[in-house]
Amino acid sequence: MAVVGDSGLPHDAGRRDALHHRERLRRKITEQLKERIGEEDIVAAGPDKRIRVPVKGTKRWQFILDRGKGGGVGQGEGEPGDVLGPPGDGERGSEAGTEPGEEIYEVWLDMEDVEEMLFAELELPRLRPRASADAEATNTIYDDIARKGPQLDKKATLRENLLRNAKMGHPALGGIEKPDLRYLSYRELPKPRHKAIIFLAMDVSGSMDAGRKRIARLFFYWCVQFLRRRYDQTELVFIAHTTEAREVTEHEFFNRMESGGTRVSSAFEAVLEIQHDRYPAEDWNIYVLHVSDGDNFAADNRRTIELVRRLTQFCSLVGYLEVDPRAGAGRHKLSAHYQKEIADLEGFVFAAAAEDRALWPALKRFFAKDRVEEIVR
Amino acid sequence: MTGYTVADLQEIDARCREIASADLGFDVPEVIYHLVRPEEVYFAAANGLPARYSSARWGAQFDAEYGRYQRGESRIYELIFNTSPVHAYLMEGNSLVAQTLVIAHCLGHGWVFEHNRWLGAVDRAIMPRVLAAAERIADYMSAHGRERVEDFLDACHAIAIHQPQAQLIRPAPTPEPDVREGPYDALFPDEVEAAKRRAEAERRELRRRFPREPEQDLLGFIERHARGLEDWQRDVMSIVHAEQGYFLPQLRTKLLNEGAAVLCHQEIVQRLFLPADRYWEYEALNSGVVAPHQGRVNPYNLGIAIMREIIRIATEPDDEERERWAWAGEVEPFEQVRTVLRTYDDEALLREFLTPKVCEECRLFAFEHLPRDPRRIRVSSREADAVREILIPQHSTFGIPRVEIVDADFRGRGELLLAHRHDGIGLDAEYACGTLAQVAALWGKPCTVETVKGREADTPTWFMGHPDGRAEELGERPS
Repeated sequence: MAVVGDSGLPHDAGRRDALHHRERLRRKITEQLKERIGEEDIVAAGPDKRIRVPVKGTKRWQFILDRGKGGGVGQGEGEPGDVLGPPGDGERGSEAGTEPGEEIYEVWLDMEDVEEMLFAELELPRLRPRASADAEATNTIYDDIARKGPQLDKKATLRENLLRNAKMGHPALGGIEKPDLRYLSYRELPKPRHKAIIFLAMDVSGSMDAGRKRIARLFFYWCVQFLRRRYDQTELVFIAHTTEAREVTEHEFFNRMESGGTRVSSAFEAVLEIQHDRYPAEDWNIYVLHVSDGDNFAADNRRTIELVRRLTQFCSLVGYLEVDPRAGAGRHKLSAHYQKEIADLEGFVFAAAAEDRALWPALKRFFAKDRVEEIVR
Repeated sequence: MTGYTVADLQEIDARCREIASADLGFDVPEVIYHLVRPEEVYFAAANGLPARYSSARWGAQFDAEYGRYQRGESRIYELIFNTSPVHAYLMEGNSLVAQTLVIAHCLGHGWVFEHNRWLGAVDRAIMPRVLAAAERIADYMSAHGRERVEDFLDACHAIAIHQPQAQLIRPAPTPEPDVREGPYDALFPDEVEAAKRRAEAERRELRRRFPREPEQDLLGFIERHARGLEDWQRDVMSIVHAEQGYFLPQLRTKLLNEGAAVLCHQEIVQRLFLPADRYWEYEALNSGVVAPHQGRVNPYNLGIAIMREIIRIATEPDDEERERWAWAGEVEPFEQVRTVLRTYDDEALLREFLTPKVCEECRLFAFEHLPRDPRRIRVSSREADAVREILIPQHSTFGIPRVEIVDADFRGRGELLLAHRHDGIGLDAEYACGTLAQVAALWGKPCTVETVKGREADTPTWFMGHPDGRAEELGERPS
């Protein structure tokens, strides 16, 4: 007979596996959120609200018999014919593999977490250090403890030692051995301290009907959320255009609509003017995002393309999103002209979004992470 | 600690052992007790074995169960492992009375581990291999990325349970067709010749069939024969396979094992002559353990009822029982209990001792789900026969459908064909698809299973999974 104090287990094993499980869960939630960023309850939630997200696809697969209709054996009172509540109450201490292990989660998330999860995949492309930016580019964050590693965590090590000694019956420090050692483990996060100016230009002309407006605003909503959360040294300039363009406040940008025709070049002219006056290219990373339904005056297309060429010469990115709920928009659209003339222009990206589900892919296209490396080089 | 020391626990163990040996005839091998934090108990319970390889699967289980503990909805008092020597975890902070119950309970498990022929058949020296496997998997995770290894583990876990259950019974191989010589062969030379040619063709067909006999060991077969697996993947498969094999006998002896352990703690604590206040504390704990679960079966409750039934038949049988069991009324009751514990598994135990008296004692009933609301049930019968008809099969297959590999070169394309040996109920469509996608990912080619549609035993259906994760139901046999 022996009673010993220690389990011989690594003390952090349970927590480590549980953390990893939660991380996998988080990844699955993120996947599902991407599909849902157009939904009202997410957008309407606002930055400090919580939303409820059902998590699908976390089933534990195995062959099981056709469910539900069969019978079983239970214990307790009740005469033949009596109807009783749910058999059992869920997955209580099921033996390994004897019951289908379906995990259904409904998770309440803070909007802050939602944005954190989503925006982890996005990045401002071609962000270069500018004159007034800090030199240091990464933050090293020590936020985990491991049993192996380069840097000893003295506090955690002492704690383990004390714990182990206490279990052996001597609650005091001393005799530190290998199983006590704990190390810091760290992550390096990019430290975006580069100044950037983002021009957000939206077509507010009469042809932008309710559906198009909605997608355009949702797109800009997520752009603004992303930029504000991830980059503390960015400035935003909002431009609304019909045949004329003008700088507007954020509130006006998201709330007002006008009527009239569309001359896209007016927006780019406004961008050039404001940039020239206030944001010299040697101090700023410059981004231009334009959203329209693509119904530009035919006569304006040449001028528009010329301006895009000029902008790409000093901008990190010129992006164009065409919102058109009608699929296969047609050859008169602005996107068709872009496709023909400047599809390969470096620093120019265009995409189309016909429905909510296309929003995330569009955001990914403009703020793609993997592209950063190849272009910065 | 709560008012006791390790020395106190050692003394309790010694006294319990004396009683077990003298009064119950249980000579229990050494049990090593570990006094551990609740978190560690729950983590080891989620793993099934201590220090097992790291996996998010255990993490999920741990999260759910430990959360229930923290909310006060569940409490594990003890955890015991069928290894040699036996290791048991006691939870820190439990009262001395609770630890007494648990130690006496563990002695019952310890004896069954040592003497039951199903449980003794496993590799009880598995721990060094478990530790080595954990290290290898940790290495694979750092070399190939944790996510990739986890996904692969998920796929292995999906089918690991499909291993041959009873090693003692081996099906006879399919006989090769042959033409026997007869006295009148000379009269029909052409017919005999044709029959011989046919038999020869069938023989050839049979010999090139692969696998030759339907294979019940899904993961083992894939591990041996799948192409395009990397070394680490084959190793992970063999680890999951071996560890699952270790657990199978525990599934088939759950009732028996818990029945023995409860019998052991009840009999021992009775003989400890605890002071009244402690005895009442024990009674409260004991009745919590064996209380029937409304609408489900509590294995502790049913297990002890069956043990008590055996003792009753051994001491005061009625005439009918004397007729049925030669030992009824003739044997020392604990000797008969030991005999049963040595050789039976749950299926045999239920077949023989799930008597009408036990069904009544445990208030067992058979139920069916309401067609419109499957979460609710309707009591269909309280007859012992109806209960037996459902409960016994549940304990012979543990609810796991029998799925076998019948062709590893299906459609001549190296695909896998599985057959579900059903008894009237087909595979669940959603789970069949999800699982087949996993199997296909392991095999590297599409995998198909043949089953029947829901409860329509005469309507065959097929599900096919693809290595890229797609899966679909097919209305007819793929050709």
